Amino acid sequence: MNTGKDDRDVKLLEQILDESKQVQGVSLWQDAWKRLRRNKAAMASMATLCILGILAFLTPLLPLQSPIDKDLNNRRFLPPSLETVVMGQRDGLKFKDGRLTAQLAKFEDEIGELRTKQRSESDPDKRDAIDEQIENRIEVEHPFNQLWNELDSVSWGLCELRVSIFGDYAIPSIFGTDQLGRDLLARVFWGARVSLIVGIVATLVSLIIGVSYGATAGYFGGIVDTIMMRIVDVLYSIPFFFVVILIMTFLGDDAIKKRMNEIGIDQIMVFYVVIGAIYWLTMSRVVRGQVLSLKEEQFVESARTVGASSSRIIFRHLVPNVLGIVIVYLTLTIPSVMLFEAFLSFLGMGVSPPDVSWGLLLKDGVDALSSVKLFWWVVVFPGAALAATLFALNFLGDGLRDALDPRMKNRD
Amino acid sequence: MPPQVRRAFLIVAAVMVVIAVAWASFFETLPPADFSLQSGTDPKTLDPHRATGNIESRLIFAMFNGLLQMLPEGEPDPESGLQPMTAQPAMAKSYDVSDSGRTYTFHLRDDIFWTDGSPVTSHDFAWSWQRMLHPGTACEYTFQLHGVPFAKEYSESTVKVGDKVEVELWDRPDDTDDKASLQNFPRGTMRYGILREIEKPDKPPLSDDASDKQIKNAEADWQETWVYHIDVAAENADGSIDWDGQTKSQTFVANLESAAKKTDTQRCHAVMIAFGKLGGLETPDYKTFVVHLKDAIPYFPNLVAYYPTFPVNKNCVEEHGSPLWTKAENIVTNGPYKLQERRLRDRLRLLKNEDYFGVNEKGYDTIDFLSMEGQNTAINMYETDQISWVTDPPAALLGELIKRDDFVSAPQLSIYYYQINIQREPLDDVRVRRAIAMAIDRKQIVEQVMKTGQLPAFTLVPPGIAGYESAKGPIFDVEAAQKLLVEAGFPGGRGIPKITLLYNTTETHRAIAEVIQQQLQNNLNVKIELQNMEWGSYLDKRKQKDYEIARAGWIADYPDPNTFLDMWITDGPQNDTNWSNQEFDRLLQDAGSEGDPAKRMKMLQAAEQIFIDEMPVIPIYFYTSLNMIKNDVEGFFPTAQDLHPIQLLQPKEGVK
Amino acid sequence: MRDLLSYLTQRFFWMLLTLWVVYTFSFILMRSVPGNPFSSERNVPPAIERQLEARYNLDAPPLTQYIDYLVGIVTRFDLGWCIRLEDYSVNQVLAEGLPVSASLAIFAMVFAIILGVSTGVVSAVYRGTYADIGMRTAAVLGIAIPNFVLAGLAILLFVFGIKIFPAGGWGTLRQVALPALCLGAPIAAYIARLTRTGMLEVLTKDHVRTAFAKGLPKRTVIMKHVLPGAMLPVVSYLGPATARVLTGSLVLEQIFALPGLGSHFIHAALQRDYTLATGMVLTYTVILFVMNTLVDISYSIIDPRVKLQ
Repeated sequence: MNTGKDDRDVKLLEQILDESKQVQGVSLWQDAWKRLRRNKAAMASMATLCILGILAFLTPLLPLQSPIDKDLNNRRFLPPSLETVVMGQRDGLKFKDGRLTAQLAKFEDEIGELRTKQRSESDPDKRDAIDEQIENRIEVEHPFNQLWNELDSVSWGLCELRVSIFGDYAIPSIFGTDQLGRDLLARVFWGARVSLIVGIVATLVSLIIGVSYGATAGYFGGIVDTIMMRIVDVLYSIPFFFVVILIMTFLGDDAIKKRMNEIGIDQIMVFYVVIGAIYWLTMSRVVRGQVLSLKEEQFVESARTVGASSSRIIFRHLVPNVLGIVIVYLTLTIPSVMLFEAFLSFLGMGVSPPDVSWGLLLKDGVDALSSVKLFWWVVVFPGAALAATLFALNFLGDGLRDALDPRMKNRD
Repeated sequence: MPPQVRRAFLIVAAVMVVIAVAWASFFETLPPADFSLQSGTDPKTLDPHRATGNIESRLIFAMFNGLLQMLPEGEPDPESGLQPMTAQPAMAKSYDVSDSGRTYTFHLRDDIFWTDGSPVTSHDFAWSWQRMLHPGTACEYTFQLHGVPFAKEYSESTVKVGDKVEVELWDRPDDTDDKASLQNFPRGTMRYGILREIEKPDKPPLSDDASDKQIKNAEADWQETWVYHIDVAAENADGSIDWDGQTKSQTFVANLESAAKKTDTQRCHAVMIAFGKLGGLETPDYKTFVVHLKDAIPYFPNLVAYYPTFPVNKNCVEEHGSPLWTKAENIVTNGPYKLQERRLRDRLRLLKNEDYFGVNEKGYDTIDFLSMEGQNTAINMYETDQISWVTDPPAALLGELIKRDDFVSAPQLSIYYYQINIQREPLDDVRVRRAIAMAIDRKQIVEQVMKTGQLPAFTLVPPGIAGYESAKGPIFDVEAAQKLLVEAGFPGGRGIPKITLLYNTTETHRAIAEVIQQQLQNNLNVKIELQNMEWGSYLDKRKQKDYEIARAGWIADYPDPNTFLDMWITDGPQNDTNWSNQEFDRLLQDAGSEGDPAKRMKMLQAAEQIFIDEMPVIPIYFYTSLNMIKNDVEGFFPTAQDLHPIQLLQPKEGVK
Repeated sequence: MRDLLSYLTQRFFWMLLTLWVVYTFSFILMRSVPGNPFSSERNVPPAIERQLEARYNLDAPPLTQYIDYLVGIVTRFDLGWCIRLEDYSVNQVLAEGLPVSASLAIFAMVFAIILGVSTGVVSAVYRGTYADIGMRTAAVLGIAIPNFVLAGLAILLFVFGIKIFPAGGWGTLRQVALPALCLGAPIAAYIARLTRTGMLEVLTKDHVRTAFAKGLPKRTVIMKHVLPGAMLPVVSYLGPATARVLTGSLVLEQIFALPGLGSHFIHAALQRDYTLATGMVLTYTVILFVMNTLVDISYSIIDPRVKLQ
């Protein structure tokens, strides 16, 4: 019987297999992560960015003052202070007891009354009418509408949560107030949402266009590559900033806006796409270069032998392999995009109020910056927020490049 | 590349850099001017008949001089500090008005000259006014002379059968067969006669989906194929026309392709009313200029002191053509200052005109009008003594600046308002319009946003026009406003759709719009959506009446209530509100021909009352003029039209 | 040399193609934007509007306009008269504004290269010291602050703090200095980073180690053997840097009241000055193309491995 021998063989094989599993090579990503972790600046930057992202997302939950409520009578250009502020205290709001919670309770009571009335109503038509009335009143009279601008449903929920946690408490104006008496701290936070989203979405757009374009050109090579890269060359020499200004004035028009709204596109989305469409050029060049060298590798050959389609090879095999360099490039594109947003805001073509972005805040700040009277806080705080973010992105980008660049491997 | 080439390349590159830097360091430096001011963006043009806007007017007032000019008279108003200004002699040393008030005779001075040395004559005025009215000049202020008989028909190029007309043949110096010369002066050969018939070929068909513009163009193209039958009259030796004498029948057409063309039809530019030969303007001699008016216009002296009626030099315009004649090396002017140099987006350097009859010996010899975009730039340059007059102080700093003694502000004859498209629901209901108007706290806007002494406006006509008392408008009253909304069927603001508020992109407009948005939300639960647009699109929107509420403003063209009221007549070119009221139209028309000033003012007041009751516009505030002027400058005072004659400015005694 | 010539011919051909694309694009875009150049607060009668349009050939059908204007540009280099700036033709505007923009750009670039390269070298040679960290931080800061904020702060500091520069205007060397500094700062920061990275890479190369081992003075090694190699990425950055200078000058011209070209562009776009806007976009395209070509040529000369194609 040779079962015993077989058993031994099997065991041996299993043992070898186990060992091989243990010594499995360190993947590029693990390796990079290990190296990145040693880079303190990059890690600190990453932590900063994560915290910033979370805070920006949770802004409605934080006990901030209203970013849009203007107190022209008493609170214009207040320097940073620790004076306590109660939500809804401004007289002009006409909130009950000058408190948000009191007004909210009053409003909910009124709605509650309507609801009871609705329940006791027997006629379904009348019930619907009251239902509509309730919705209408919430849309028009809800106290949140006085303090925040067009909250989406998630933010609305977060705001409600915030009121139930913090009540009327709001962080004092530690960043001071702006020209129209709005709290700068709240505006910096709400501005972060817009600025970060512009940065990220526009960069993603550039990523999608750039990677597909570059990878396609690189993979097919030859005449396709030549033509595609010639097009990139031509586009490189177009002063895009100027074209964007033309496009932005075009999109600023109401008729166009309406038409786009009908097909479900709002202006800010177009804004992302337009900016993204500028920044894909470099990305496509970089990706093409990488793909050109990668496509001679064996794994591409083998994929082709088993009959994989071109698009499958490009997107399943080539693109993942150029991700490293793409990520590095991403962290460097986001800052450019955010700066470009600021530039457009300076020219008055960025987001429109009551929305707010860092670019807009900085423009307002610079307008108030003069030797006549130094309102330093209106420019310093938004500026610091923008600079810190870009700072972190730059350091993270450097760190990632060092970590992902194989040439840097095993260097001190 | 071989290493030698590389080395050579480096050297070449280095040399190039050095040359570039050397070139860049070379400046054509002008010595600093005696006086510099913030001019704003670059002037659109220096042609008085083409210019519009503050920046241009300031320059033209300095460089040109009309029959009369606005100069200070009397003591400043003790309350507002306003210096009264009246139309006083300039090129005309005096003028007589006939008893009917319909004929003005201007007597020109003897010592007035153009900068090329030739004397200024009454013919210069007659020629300039005709040029100003000519449609080819495309002056936006032609309505200022519409009081002169046939001026309106001339400027709008309308003729009817039986009119005495002029025909300009297709032989301007630069005319070619397929393109008209763009120079409407010098003109082609002129023919004068009586229009007997207009033969109109069939109108070419238009496709149904043609755009407005295509329809307009097709209409204009069609008009060019009209054949005019004219009995051409002879021209006498003195230039007058023998209308009743022998005539010769001839036909004229603008487009020779016309189907109605005869074999002997002559090509012409246009057939227009013979304005120049119909006696509206008379030049009995070189120094006498007579103007006839259809109705008495009490403010006519103010009109001839305004820049669109200023003369331009015929020789200069005809020699260089438009717009080349306004180049610094070509331009000929007659004002207190003359243009020395113009650098685009940099400055206009003006030199004192020593030949000007009223030259101010103590005035500044050179003045720089500096172009600058940023408000902060101007204040920075002012603070560092680079300029002495800020014409547009930064909005964000007004709260601080107003405390200083070099800040000059005073009420201005101009109004900031929101106009309403009264065909849009729910704004078609006058109660809603009034409710919105009554729920806007103007006091907060002027005190907290504007902060520079603006007056809250409840009526259309600003205070400060002699002899006029404004109508009564609804004041700020939230409860009454809420009641009105209930009456209109919107209790508590429920049921009112979001209303859009259109404004052009400017910091101040935005701030005001945001405050009003908040006030209406707080007071009426009316939701306003802000829509900001840059200037071009904004105007277009307004013109197409594609808005609900739009911000606008109006500055008096002349100190009379009429300038604020006559723009709202039915189908008036500025009336973009769809509002129309026959009683209002009638009152304004009657006021126009009313001889008794007091009665006239009463009629205007009644018209204003109708207007403000109907509320097609919501007045917000009356502007104040805002200027900063260095303390060492003399001769600067606040005026109601924000006019500051530059020839009166001079350094203060004892200050270097 | 023949390489170079055929390369230049090719580039010229591509430039014409690009210009045509840009021309067509901006023509279509501007004509489809609502509003027209004659919009003004005071509505003008139709007779007058027609005259105005005729003056700029705007009454012709769009295709005729497209062709007429293109023919004018190609045959006579005539970009037409500005619509909003009536007294000037587009060519005159360019002739007056271009030298200003150019000298501002030259100062900014020279300043950026000198400052960027020297700090980059110092930072690489003294890697890890406080000087290095300080310079790197400054460099990142230079990249992270928007131009207009930098200019605002610089005015406070250099105009009102230590009063050495005037607040604005054009005509003297002192008036150029501050805007050139603000315009050059972000580019200097970028160049410093590129130089530092390049230097670090070359410093580890064998030929440099050999040079050090031979006992050559540090100075000589760095200047002769390290710097040329490290400059390659800097040279290739000069193309994008030009684009950056062009946009940056847009903002700085406004803040410092400089008579350059940039502010014309904003006005032209906003006021629908078709002719001026087209002229500006075409001009900037040519500038960018020429700069990119120059950079490519320089690159091929400096780096023997690169061939022009």
